[in-house]
Amino acid sequence: MPMLLEPAQTTNYMILGLSVIVGSMLLFVGSLALRFRNLRQDLQVLEEVEQNDSQE
Amino acid sequence: MDSTPRALRWLSAVTGVLFLIALGMVLFYAPEEAVMGNVQRVFYFHVAAGWVGALAFLVTALAGIAFLVGSDPKWDRVAQASVEVGIVFTFINIVSGSIWARPIWNTWWTWDPRLVTATVMELIYLAYVMLRQGIEDPERRARFGSVYGIVGFISVPITFLSIRLLRTIHPVVIGSNDPSAQGAFDMTPAMLQTFMFSLLTFTFVYATLLWHRLRLQNLMERVEQMKMKVFAS
Repeated sequence: MPMLLEPAQTTNYMILGLSVIVGSMLLFVGSLALRFRNLRQDLQVLEEVEQNDSQE
Repeated sequence: MDSTPRALRWLSAVTGVLFLIALGMVLFYAPEEAVMGNVQRVFYFHVAAGWVGALAFLVTALAGIAFLVGSDPKWDRVAQASVEVGIVFTFINIVSGSIWARPIWNTWWTWDPRLVTATVMELIYLAYVMLRQGIEDPERRARFGSVYGIVGFISVPITFLSIRLLRTIHPVVIGSNDPSAQGAFDMTPAMLQTFMFSLLTFTFVYATLLWHRLRLQNLMERVEQMKMKVFAS
């Protein structure tokens, strides 16, 4: 009778691989959100400075 | 100011749902591979990430051509946004491949043609980002970026064809494998459906991220223009 082989026990590597994939995507999305927030703050400050300049 | 367009909000929501379904299919629908075990499930997103990288660099090259033809700065912004998304997904592709290789090839890294060409491709586009930052004049920077994006795209077909033309241990998903390939497998219908769905999902992920990144690029340019205006006055 032929011997049936079990699949290799590689669940830990699967968890690591999928975590890296999802984690990297979330990091990228987070970096986009952070950069958006910082740029909006910069723009707000610049608009205030411009307004003050035009009033003087 | 600049509220997110309704279409982008919908696209983001649809992409999120598609991603959760794809993750569910990878974990619960696709069967466990008979020899490699569960690590084979990484393959669905590994290939999809590679596809997004190639697509992103193709869009960069096409946007470069469009800029050189029409000199419209919007195409340069598209190229910049697409390169960044491509770099992130090529990184995901390389690292997830390395994690798969550890139990299957018994090493994190080997000097296989596919691994080398993919890494060189990643470095080419990282250099694109760094070199652009060294050019002050926006017009020259955009022209340089366009030419670089077009020439750099040569690395994409070389990476794709490396496992088909050169002797390699990297498995080929579509097409016949090299006899020395290690980790190749035949896909069951459920595996094929999961694979195709993952490709579709990651294409949506690319479109969504590109659009968000493009809006960021537009905002960056607006802030730069505002700075010049304020400092000049």
